[in-house]
Amino acid sequence: MYLSLNWVKNWLKLPKDVDNKQIALDLTMATVEVEEVIDQAEALKDIVVGKVKEIVKHPQADRLQVCQVDTGESVEKIVCGGSNLSKGMLVAVAQVGAKVRWHGQGNWVTLSKAKIRGVESQGMIAAVEEIGLGDLFPSRSETEILDLSGFKVKPGQPLSQALELDDTIIDIDNKSINHRPDLWGQYGLARELAAIYHLKLKEYPVVDLTTKNQIKLKVSVQDKANCFRYLGWAIKNIKIEDSPWWLKKQLQAVGLRPINNIVDVTNYVMYELGQPLHAFDARQIKDAHIQIKQAKKGESFITLDGKRRKLPEGALMISDSQKYVALAGIMGGQNSEIGTDTTEIILESANFRAASVRRTSTALGLRSESSARFEKSIDPLLAETAIKKAAQLILSLCSESYIASKLVDVNNNPFKEITLEVPESLINQRFGAVIHTTDIKGILQRLQFGVEHRSKTFQIKVPSFRATKDISIPEDIVEEVARIYGYNNIPYQLPQVVLQEPIFDVAYQGAKDIKKWLAWAQAYTEVYTYAFTDIVWVEKLGFDLKQHLKVKNAVSPEQSYLNLSLLPNLLSKAEDNLRWFDEFRIFELERVFDKRSRGAYHTDQSKKKFLPVQEKSLAGLEVSSYNSEQVFLSVKGLIESLMDYWNIKWQSEKIKLPYANHAFQLKHQDIILGNFGLIKDRLLDDAKAKIGFWQFDFALLVKYINFSKRYQSLPKFPSIRRDMAVVVDETVGWSDLEKEIINISSLIRQVEPFDVFTGQEIGANKKSLAFHLEFRSDDKTLMAEDVDQLMKDVLKILEKKFQAVLR
Amino acid sequence: MEKKLRELKNRFFSELKTVRDDDFLAELKIKYLGRKGELASILRGVKDLAVEEKPRVGQLANEIKKELLEVFGRTEAIIKKSAIRPRNFDSSLPGQRREIGHLHPSTIVQEEIEEAFAKLGFSIFDGPQLESDYYNFTALNIPEDHPARDTQDTFWVEGKNLLRTHTSNLQVRMLEKYGAPFRGIFPGRVFRYESTDASHEHTFYQTEGLMVDRNINIGNLIAVMQSLLSAVFHKKVNVRLRPGFFPFVEPGFEMDIECFICEGDGCSVCKQSGWVELMPCGLVHPGVLKAGGLDPEEYSGFAFGLGLTRLVMMKYRINDIRLLQSGDLRFLKQF
Repeated sequence: MYLSLNWVKNWLKLPKDVDNKQIALDLTMATVEVEEVIDQAEALKDIVVGKVKEIVKHPQADRLQVCQVDTGESVEKIVCGGSNLSKGMLVAVAQVGAKVRWHGQGNWVTLSKAKIRGVESQGMIAAVEEIGLGDLFPSRSETEILDLSGFKVKPGQPLSQALELDDTIIDIDNKSINHRPDLWGQYGLARELAAIYHLKLKEYPVVDLTTKNQIKLKVSVQDKANCFRYLGWAIKNIKIEDSPWWLKKQLQAVGLRPINNIVDVTNYVMYELGQPLHAFDARQIKDAHIQIKQAKKGESFITLDGKRRKLPEGALMISDSQKYVALAGIMGGQNSEIGTDTTEIILESANFRAASVRRTSTALGLRSESSARFEKSIDPLLAETAIKKAAQLILSLCSESYIASKLVDVNNNPFKEITLEVPESLINQRFGAVIHTTDIKGILQRLQFGVEHRSKTFQIKVPSFRATKDISIPEDIVEEVARIYGYNNIPYQLPQVVLQEPIFDVAYQGAKDIKKWLAWAQAYTEVYTYAFTDIVWVEKLGFDLKQHLKVKNAVSPEQSYLNLSLLPNLLSKAEDNLRWFDEFRIFELERVFDKRSRGAYHTDQSKKKFLPVQEKSLAGLEVSSYNSEQVFLSVKGLIESLMDYWNIKWQSEKIKLPYANHAFQLKHQDIILGNFGLIKDRLLDDAKAKIGFWQFDFALLVKYINFSKRYQSLPKFPSIRRDMAVVVDETVGWSDLEKEIINISSLIRQVEPFDVFTGQEIGANKKSLAFHLEFRSDDKTLMAEDVDQLMKDVLKILEKKFQAVLR
Repeated sequence: MEKKLRELKNRFFSELKTVRDDDFLAELKIKYLGRKGELASILRGVKDLAVEEKPRVGQLANEIKKELLEVFGRTEAIIKKSAIRPRNFDSSLPGQRREIGHLHPSTIVQEEIEEAFAKLGFSIFDGPQLESDYYNFTALNIPEDHPARDTQDTFWVEGKNLLRTHTSNLQVRMLEKYGAPFRGIFPGRVFRYESTDASHEHTFYQTEGLMVDRNINIGNLIAVMQSLLSAVFHKKVNVRLRPGFFPFVEPGFEMDIECFICEGDGCSVCKQSGWVELMPCGLVHPGVLKAGGLDPEEYSGFAFGLGLTRLVMMKYRINDIRLLQSGDLRFLKQF
């Protein structure tokens, strides 16, 4: 939305000591978000009126001419290619320093002195597009220069002054006025400025117009629920022409392209009041009977942009006695559009239900200046003001025209007058400071609220233009007062509250803890990935697609399912990183989603329905070019350290996973906490990389963290270490061996392998296992002899159970 | 035992000859002469000998001990002397670094924020990302057909649910669960349906904050945010409030932070305004308090939605938002 400062000057006098930048800032701080301040004169800086004195052909170029141009103070030599150039013509001369756009395209550049095909040129004679005035002066060809001969201008005059293009435009972010239907017009913005600067605001002038009753205009509102008000007027003896200069330049200033006098008037009033209007060619409105009704299923309609649109069922339509003529509040129809030969119009000023307009415009993907305004819930009272203003303007522009019907007004305004009772104490409480009663009253009155104050309570009458949805509760009044008072004038202090018992959340604490542990102790780097899984990975990993939740409006096919596991994205990131690194470790801690299980979160207050389970998963990959065994043992080692770190008792058992080798499931008692193993070779494009994986159900894992660690008294007697190496069958597992050894005697405290190898000297299908043994007693210092005996026992058992041979 | 002693002596002398440096010398001392050394263990055996053998073996043992100590002492002297000149090495070689991993920059900044809030007695909560329409929109005064839904393009998931568009989805959940007074923040991942480029992501991170108590006011909100932001940025920061419309707060604000690139003078980052938009906030709308089961006559509160991703990008001057979800270790190893 553009605010034109010239426009609002119709109703108020802006303070002299406040510059335009300050106005933008004050609006930002009190009302809306300003994106940019555009100074029209600044944009046309160094562009002046010139008079062409002399034209000679350019010596080097056929299409160029060299002109002597009177620019007021001097006569300049300027090279020009304008096809309509003639001697004595008044033109726009862009001098050195002016901002221009070559051929009306691309970026704005600052003009400098130039030699054109060997001839020096002091600036240029501009075409309209080159100085951003294309909308005001439609030109027939690109080579045509701006001809100012029809204007009362003289050489040397700055162009902005000559054409009265001296407005300041404040560009307002539309998002910041979504809730304020009244600010979609200049008058509403003027009201805000008046409130901010304590200015007197002229009441909006409405003139009573005389009407003839030649045309029996009839309006039937069949859908009262969606059409709150409909006013129609027929006007005859119209002559379609270009609008006068003042109207054109005012529209251009707020970014609208002038079209013809009638369309321009409807746009002008819309921009002035925020009330969209529409003009039908009366010849096309059969029986002068307007009907407002809903579209039926399967119908279609051609809008005035020439597109045939399939109408959503229930779309609110304007119809005559036979056919649809407009999409209510969104766009008119091609069949009743104003043409150059139009002489009779029916002017529409209506109020449609915001939700209805919004739904249809969303369904059609069709947005317009009109729908943007109706969506915000416009004040139905405005419709009458607007149609009167528009008719008055049309009558003044077309001197022969007259109003040919009575003003038809079908009014089903559902909005009630709102009176709010706001205790003074509420305002002071929400401010956290005491505000003078008179200040509060003054602010509200400037915003045109009705205010009465008795027994420390304000009785506040909400003006109709704020009462459609914007202001409905006392807190809304707090906001009105506070924003004009100035948020930054409110004193601030930290809240004084009662201390509360802290909440210990093991999942939160655990997450914080384990991330650091993984990063800093285990050299794992944390990655963040998307919540979406590519179906290609679902297939690659052999996951069950039925467990995946589908995203209805995915941004791309690769992101159409929610993660069931973090592995697919981690693997994909691993693949990316293999381009740069041979070895790395990555992990992620995030929520994953399982379609088939009910989760802990309810969907609404009834707490009867629940969202799918979406607990956090903790998962990681270890990527290496070493052999598989090393990667596997490294991952296993990580799991062992992690479980030690959190003091969780666990055991593992071998499982089969479609995407893994050597996969194990991790359990605490009977509860499955996660799994780990090796990703199958060739699952990634890089066939050399060995990838170990692990993943936990994090919510479960943290549940079994054992915080009750107890100190073990330090050993009183020294331990003795011995080594042993045996040759066994290759199939013998270390863990079996270990179990047997530990069971031999309580004096054997630890058995730890340090060397495993196979080779010719060991024999086929055999391996050598070397390990340390640690012996210790809690009652005495063990003697060498005691240990010698135990070593013999160990060997004996190993020989018996595993046919081991001492090396 | 005599044999053992002589054998020990021989071994000692032969090993002593190979001594070249301090370390090995110290090892030998422990091995043979230490409290738990071989000689000591033989000497301990003397007490178990037959009475008649004790004196002779004892004497021999002592002689050998004396001899070993003497020879050891001489060797030690020689070695120590030659070792006055330390072994030379190139100390300009790089140190042996331990490999470490890296936390994601968002994790780092999020934790700084959490810690600052925790010090003010805010608890930290987490909640669903796959959310119902009710908690993401309706409970927050955003019914169907509300234009505010336009500004929050939504990922819809089968089963009528959605991916939360903001961390505000937890406001009503938390009030339902904990009631008032309440002080908490809820950091986490949020989603908007849009295509990605250097400055747009469909996945980003926010930290919602909610404080509900008796008599919470606008001044409290400014004071809390100013102290917290100062803690996060390790310096005093200036903030300003201006109007902003969000259906679940009333009044609603945008909070700006003084641009710390130009310190308020105006630069390209702050579009010459001296201020950078930081977060929407406001006093909790009575309708939201009611949805959370509280009496708006009794309680009031403030809420804010801090853009964590934006803060991370500001802090580390990251100019492409996509890097954050890229998993690119060349990027992540910088933090």
